[in-house]
This record gives sequence, C-alpha cells and structure tokens, in this order.
Amino acid sequence: MSDLALRAVDLRKTYVTKGSPSVNALAGVTMDVRRGERLALLGRNGAGKTTFLRIASTLLRPSSGTIEVFGVDVDRHPERVRPYIAVVPQEGKPFFHLTPREQIYTYLRARGFGRETARTRTEESIQRMGLAECADRLAITLSGGQRQRTMVATVIATQAPLLFLDEPTIGMDPFARRSVWESLRELTRRGSTIVLTTHYLDEADALSQRLYIIERGHVIVSGTAEDLKRSVGGTLKVQLPQGAAAVELFRSFGACVIDGEAVTVIVAPERLGELMGVAVGQHLTATVGPVTLEEAFLNVVGRSIDED
Amino acid sequence: MRTEVGSPRPFGGLRAFLWTEALVQAHEELAMATSMVVQGVLLVFVWILNPALIGVALLGAVIFSMFTMGQRVLNEAAYIRIDHKANELYLAGPLTAEGYFLGLSSGILLVYVGPVIAVGILADLVVHLTALELGVLVLLAGVVWVCAASIGYTLSTAFRDNRAIWAYSSLFFNVFGVLPPVFYPLDLFPSALRPIVLLMPPSAAASILQTMIGAAHPTPGQLDLAVVGLAVEVVALFLFAVLWARRTARER
Repeated sequence: MSDLALRAVDLRKTYVTKGSPSVNALAGVTMDVRRGERLALLGRNGAGKTTFLRIASTLLRPSSGTIEVFGVDVDRHPERVRPYIAVVPQEGKPFFHLTPREQIYTYLRARGFGRETARTRTEESIQRMGLAECADRLAITLSGGQRQRTMVATVIATQAPLLFLDEPTIGMDPFARRSVWESLRELTRRGSTIVLTTHYLDEADALSQRLYIIERGHVIVSGTAEDLKRSVGGTLKVQLPQGAAAVELFRSFGACVIDGEAVTVIVAPERLGELMGVAVGQHLTATVGPVTLEEAFLNVVGRSIDED
Repeated sequence: MRTEVGSPRPFGGLRAFLWTEALVQAHEELAMATSMVVQGVLLVFVWILNPALIGVALLGAVIFSMFTMGQRVLNEAAYIRIDHKANELYLAGPLTAEGYFLGLSSGILLVYVGPVIAVGILADLVVHLTALELGVLVLLAGVVWVCAASIGYTLSTAFRDNRAIWAYSSLFFNVFGVLPPVFYPLDLFPSALRPIVLLMPPSAAASILQTMIGAAHPTPGQLDLAVVGLAVEVVALFLFAVLWARRTARER
C-alpha cells in the first residue's frame, strides 16, 4: 500500500474548444501528497489549481501524465478511487430546498453510511461548523457564508481518507474560517489527508503543512510556508509609504518592492537598526512587521495572487 | 485510516439519492400544484369539442404526464449541475453515476406521480378498464417514463447555460407529447405518417391503449411496430442513458 495519498507525474491538461485557441491549463505538474498531510495549492486565477483538483477527484480526464490516489490510477480506475475521496467544488451550493441538517444527512446516506452513523456525524458536523442556529432553515434563506459552511460541513462529515476543498472558505467571516481550519486540523489528526486551494495566503500559512505554487500550469515552487518566507531573503519587512524616491539607499539591505510612492524592503533582523537609521535620516516614516506569505508569493511569482 | 480500494456496485446509492431528490422536490409546492395544468386544459378542450373522446384523452393525459416528467428530469439535472455543482459533490464519491441519474429521476417521479394516478383512476371510471387493461396502462406509463427520463437526463448534459434550458426543454416534450395522437385517436392521424408516430414513445403507448379499448384500429403491422418499437426504444434509451451518465461523470 502506497505511503502517498496522492501522486501526480507530468500531469498535463489542454482544453480544446472548437473555434477557440487551445488552453494549456496544466503543463506537466508533478507533485506528491503524503498521508495525513494538509497541502495547499496556491496560484492566481487561471493558474491551473482547480483543473488539478478536478482531475485528482475523478471529475476531469487529463490529456497526459499519471495521477494516483492511494496507489490507484485515477484515470484508469476512477470508480475505485471515488469511495475514498470527498470534494467541496468551487462555487458549489447546497440544495436550496433542503436544510443544512437534511443536506448533510442525505449526502452521508447517499455515500452509503447507515442511518445512525449519518445522524451522529450530521449533528457533529453542524456543531463543529457553527450551523446549529440555522440547521433547520431551508438553504435558500441562508446567507452566502452559511451556505458555504453547509457545503464544508457536508464534506467534512464524511471523514473521507482524502478530501479536496476548492476555495472552501470563500465568503466566510473570520470566525467561520477559523472553525473550518480547526475542523480540517482535527480531520488530519484522525488520519485524513487534505488538499485545498485558496486565495487567502493567511489561510495557506495557518493551515498547510506544505504548499505548491502553481503559475500558468507549472509548479514553480513547493515547500513549507516558512521555507517560502525564508527564500525572500529576510524575516522582516519594512514598509516606507514615501520611500520610493529613496529606494537606491535601501537596495543593499534586501529585496525592494516599489508600489507607487511606497517601497517595501525585506531585511534580516540584525540589519533592521541600520535600515531604520537611514529611514530617519531621510525623514521617512516606517512600519515594521514579519514577512508574510504575501511577500513570498510576490517574490516568487512576480505578481500579487489577486492580480489576473 | 482504511484505504483499501474496491468498486461500488452498479446503481449504488440510488435509493438514498432518490430520497434526497424527493425531499428537494417536495418543497416545490407551486410546481406540484401546476404540474397538471396543460393536461387539464387539453382535457377541457376535448370535453367541449367531442365528449365521446374523453376516455381516450384521459388515457392520453396519463401517458403525456409520464412523458413530461422527462422535462422535469432535464431541467433539474441541468440546473443542479450548472448552478449547484451537485454532480461534482455527489459523483466524486461512492454514489454511482447511474445511481445519480436514476435516483434523481425516481425522486421526481415519486413526488409528481400522485396527480397522474388520480387521472388514471378517472380514466378507469370513464373507460371501465379490465384488470389486464389496467396492468397494461401501468406498464406503458412506466415504459414511457423510463424513455422520457433517459432522454431528459441525456439532453441535460448538453446545456451550459440555465437560461437556455427552460425554452428548449418544454418545446421538445410538449411537441412530442401533444402533436402526435396521444390525446386523440390514431385513426384521426394521416395514415401515411402513422409509422412515424408509432415510433415515438408517447404516441406508440397511447395507440396501444386506444387499440386495447377499441378507440383505434391500426393494422396488425402497425400495432407490431408500436409494441416492438417501444420495447426496443425503452431498452436502448435506458442503456444509453446509463452509459452516458457514466461517461459524463468525467469531463474530457
């Protein structure tokens, strides 16, 4: 039995549409996910994250390459993979004419769980995701965030060995996002493996044990969030709102990112005092903070994650 | 963590998904209340124009109602796929593609079959069907439903935009359910074109019923065409829909 929950080798997907140019959504992605791991796929819109997730979850056929889930070839034996996976689709919605309680329960029953197990897990999932107050209201009357929580609660309740979540916390408030994070951590403690895509870099930082950044169908970097942040060249960032004109004075301290009149300098802690001295000498105000995944992403990809 | 892999059995999850869909449909009170409006209007027209044909029209209404369930399958399958991504949620799991298709169709049938049974009882009161004739009516209604659900699910996979669904789906099912001799006897239809309508599931089923009660007089060859055609069609359409459901569970 494979120690890997998921393994992809040189996975490619080209969308061919009559009358339109072909689109290379995946251009040779190789990655592995260990059992019990929480892995995040990061990338801008159209980078290929959802395509990868849909291929891995048996919903889309690849153009070439191989992909295995628990050692089983996804493309050749999707029916053998499906019992062991569960998916929160991107922009998926619960049935509008079911309540969250009905949605979760009937979904578990459709997956083959017995009545008693389905009932117990439904109640657990409702509590865990903070849906108790709206559990008996039709989904059509719920807010966007509550509907999304219902989707996540539905899939989490399966406790499937491998869960794919495509932007699971989109539209949720910060408290709900943290409930999802804690639920996902709990699932991996029990042995499930989680692969998620997200646009929230703080989410990837807080939740993932490893991450892959995908850009234009290629994996351009992989590792832990800490690895990625270290690769920027320092652990602190100094933001100088009026510092762009004096950027040449700061280049020797580390990477500089100019945004209009502002400049952000990445600096090692031991050189912070020296840099601040230069800033004061130029009568510049400065804010100091830790380097986040945002800077790391910008450094690696060259563009913000929100930039199309 | 258990990760031994195995294949789900054919039609796995059908019953549970049937109840899911029935629960969803049961909240659609307005759709349920209006489900027999077209049939009702046509029955009123027949009653006004020629009351002697009301028995034929009532039997036709049963067949037409079962046929238009395919339209509901089409609408629902396309809507929950496009708008809710329900197919992705359910099919990336142990629920089989054929269980999804047949569960969805059967859930709709369960909720909407009540008024059809009422029309069937009314037809029985008017026409005085024997037990055998009643059995044939039920069988043909079932056959027409299988054909319609199979056509509806298969067509649903062609839609990419919700706005297109409503217009085309009602066109298809109403034209094939109303234009051919379903609400009126086969004998009133031009004889040269009869082989065509006898190959359409709703008019073939209605013609068999009309022959049974003596309201239509097709040649033995025409009756054979209706019976054999319907038998072949129901098997072929159902098998195709199952294979199509499996094939479209994954995009290419």
